[in-house]
Amino acid sequence: MSGLHWMTAAAAARAIAAGELSPVELMKALLARIARLDPKLNVFIRLDGDAAMAAARAAEAEIASGRSRGPLHGVPVGIKDIIDVAGLPTTCHSKLLIDNVAAADAVCVSHLRGAGAIVLGKLSTHEFAIGGPSFDLPWPPARNPWNPDHHPGGSSSGSGSGVAAGLFPMALGSDTGGSVRNPASACGIVGLKPTYGLVSRRGVFPLSFTLDHIGPLTRTVTDNALMLDVLAGHDPLDPGSAAVPSGRYASGLERGVRGMRIGFIRHFHETDVPADPEVAAGLEQAARTLQSLGAQISDVRLPTLGEFGAVNRVILQSEAWAIHGPWLRERPGDYGRLARRRLLPGAFISAGDYVQAARRRLEMIAAVEAALREVDVLLCASAMDPPSRIEDAAETERTYPRQARTPFNVTGHPALAMMAGLSSDGLPLSLQLVGRNFAEATLFQVARAWERAAGIDEKHPAIG
Amino acid sequence: MDKAMVELLARRAGLEKALTEFPEDVAAAAEQASGSVARMKAPANPRAEPWPPMRTGAGL
Repeated sequence: MSGLHWMTAAAAARAIAAGELSPVELMKALLARIARLDPKLNVFIRLDGDAAMAAARAAEAEIASGRSRGPLHGVPVGIKDIIDVAGLPTTCHSKLLIDNVAAADAVCVSHLRGAGAIVLGKLSTHEFAIGGPSFDLPWPPARNPWNPDHHPGGSSSGSGSGVAAGLFPMALGSDTGGSVRNPASACGIVGLKPTYGLVSRRGVFPLSFTLDHIGPLTRTVTDNALMLDVLAGHDPLDPGSAAVPSGRYASGLERGVRGMRIGFIRHFHETDVPADPEVAAGLEQAARTLQSLGAQISDVRLPTLGEFGAVNRVILQSEAWAIHGPWLRERPGDYGRLARRRLLPGAFISAGDYVQAARRRLEMIAAVEAALREVDVLLCASAMDPPSRIEDAAETERTYPRQARTPFNVTGHPALAMMAGLSSDGLPLSLQLVGRNFAEATLFQVARAWERAAGIDEKHPAIG
Repeated sequence: MDKAMVELLARRAGLEKALTEFPEDVAAAAEQASGSVARMKAPANPRAEPWPPMRTGAGL
């Protein structure tokens, strides 16, 4: 079978379950592609190829004997290297944790394995999920498969690059200020930050306790819903976990958007942080398309991106300082320069500032809740620019904060980023959809309508 | 924030080593922190609660 590397997780799972595709053949094809492309893309920190192949053989034998582990049986997955996988190091892409071997799987990994998924290895990230594309770390930064001279977004860089390049159909990332949605935007795939508390964070190295989310990255909306079905669920040992019903996220995917009310947050990209004209045009095109499919589009106003960003930074830096303070005092030279610069500010924020940010945060949550009482879903920008050139540090520094993702880490609402089209340079443009708390199924419904109308699930980078 | 204040706060936070080895990073961090705090609006209501509110649960 040719083109196995572009097979979706859903299609692979169906074919494997029906005995039409061998998980061993799928794994062989992906490992061959990884061997060819990873030296250009730096997706993996640690490829666990032998264990993955052994798991594929075991899956093949189980399926042949009529035993199914679950909806992802035999489907490979990549794991961001701040998430524990038993027996493998969780390095956080940092010298500080280079020998930090995990004793047990994180809960999210355990759920994926329970559904039959096969862990391929650990993926590049920005150092401690905050540093940025850095060249002073033990491993090089991941690159964008649409053009390896460009940044793949981050911090879940390897997750975005590897899914987009066809090295694996699905990956796990984490999102504290947009780190699932940024690589999804830069690499032209689908990335979801679920509602705060929907997916357990236990076994994931924290960056900011009240902003951290774990989310799926995939090439299609259907695969994202399939992954969330497996990942979501209450974890009584995660203090932030929500005890709410979950599942069946793919059940309404093809219902379309007729009659749905979509609020367009234009001020984010028109006045707060003026977007690149191609990004703005892509957003307008998406709004027009959704309208033509029967949705009602109206303008919505929220606090400005500047306000959201300040609250996000004060909370993130305060909580991250609580985690990193001891290492920053004793081993500041073991961090890369970017992570050190982004983690040190917490030392200069007072307890009063932190509490003030938490109080302002509640007002921001109320503002988004009020907007979502008037509409079903919000549409807005994700990245304000196409991905920057990775070795142009000044351009990366300039464009990095030009985004509209942090508001929904502050408020906790589910937010999904996906491709809006391609720039004149052939780089992905993006949009973002935001939903009511725990209404991921509605988000997927709108995202699928756009995906189908724009044919973006058929767009892949020309690499390899 | 002037240099003396940055050094005072950095020492109070135990960052002597960083101050010696990476003084530019420490200064940039102090500037970034004060910028973020300055851009944050105070809540309009003096009785506004923080998020997350105090709560009890099975995991606590």
